[in-house]
Amino acid sequence: MKKFMFSILAVLFIVLSLLAAGCAGQDSAQKEGQQEDNGTESPAEGFGTLVFTANGEEFIREGFLSKDGWELSFNHAYVTMSNITAYQSNPPYDTEQGWEISYDVKVELEGFHTADLTDPDSDPAKLAQIGQVPSGHYNAISWTMTRAVEGPAEGYSLLLVGKAEKDGQVIYFTLGIEQEVDYLGGDYVGDERKGIVAPGSSADLEMTFHFDHLFGDGEEDFDDEINLEAFGFDPLAALAVNGEVNADLASLEKLLSPQDYELLLSIFTHLAHVGEGHCLARFVN
Amino acid sequence: MNQKLHSVIRLFSVVLSLFIYLLLFVAGSAYAHGVELEYNISEAVQVTARFDSGTPMADAQVAVFAPGNPAEPWLIGICDSEGRFLFVPDPALPGLWEIQVRQAGHGGLLRVEVAEGALTQSTAGGFSSTQKAVMTAAVIWGLIGTAFFFSRRRP
Repeated sequence: MKKFMFSILAVLFIVLSLLAAGCAGQDSAQKEGQQEDNGTESPAEGFGTLVFTANGEEFIREGFLSKDGWELSFNHAYVTMSNITAYQSNPPYDTEQGWEISYDVKVELEGFHTADLTDPDSDPAKLAQIGQVPSGHYNAISWTMTRAVEGPAEGYSLLLVGKAEKDGQVIYFTLGIEQEVDYLGGDYVGDERKGIVAPGSSADLEMTFHFDHLFGDGEEDFDDEINLEAFGFDPLAALAVNGEVNADLASLEKLLSPQDYELLLSIFTHLAHVGEGHCLARFVN
Repeated sequence: MNQKLHSVIRLFSVVLSLFIYLLLFVAGSAYAHGVELEYNISEAVQVTARFDSGTPMADAQVAVFAPGNPAEPWLIGICDSEGRFLFVPDPALPGLWEIQVRQAGHGGLLRVEVAEGALTQSTAGGFSSTQKAVMTAAVIWGLIGTAFFFSRRRP
């Protein structure tokens, strides 16, 4: 009888404790929701100007040493962007959230915009600006690296033209990338904050492209993370004929080993940044 | 005579004690290179920054932005060799604090909620409701087991 009573009590305790824990979970979930509310910033009153820019940094403007010892310099680095959208995200967007973004204000820049990131004045390259945007902190941006429909980079979302030198060997290269990629990034990470539009003034928002992710950085250790994940230049140099490489992704798929081609393709999922902050990426089609 | 000697010795002891006291507490504070140490206990934020590979972001640059002023850093500093950075946010500035950590061309932004003096990391963490339920049940079951043990019939 005593044993039976204990069994009843045991079951009762377990059921009650499960219920209590469940309620505690609900309570904490509600608190988390409240904290999000407390952390939100309502859009400031007034209007200003938002300037959209693109930047390939010193790597592309001044050239650099690849992870496999090629001294790279660039004549042109055309990148074309469309669907450019700035957000006053709320709560502030983080790439860990995935592609879901909630916002108070969204500003869309229409059209296709191509920039040559090698231009010495492209620090950063100004694409366009929109006036009379609601003031506030534009802390997220999305865009598509898209195929240019006209101009020197027509048909390519990224077109690199340059020269590689190593041990007296010189290779002139033209590398066209057809792949289109969607990017979504959070707040700009860098020396200064960007995207903060005060009433009556302007602020810029930057799409940054890190070409050391593609070729690696010979100034860093060979086993540095940036170099372990980079494509380098050796696989392209191996394709040179009479000191030239002219290739696009379609031809590289046939010429490169499957592993090298997959590696090259994967680079474009982490080429784009917002300053030094990584972006989420997905291939279009 | 003997009593007089005792009185003198007692007086000498008192004077000597007083001298030692003055030497330690008065003269000491006047001539030694003393320091004054105080402490208070506060809630602090410790940031640990690592690269994706798990390597600590040693000596990374840190900029802390207080709520309502995202343009001007409230505090700047450097991570230690393990990628750690510790700071105490001003509890008078509740809201979303932002901590930017950068090194070698890579960086990230962390947000911490400070609401009415309480710190909350903006990213969710801790145990889930299910985990809490299982842990609570386990503890209760342990108590019941103990009760069974002591209530058993002894041979």
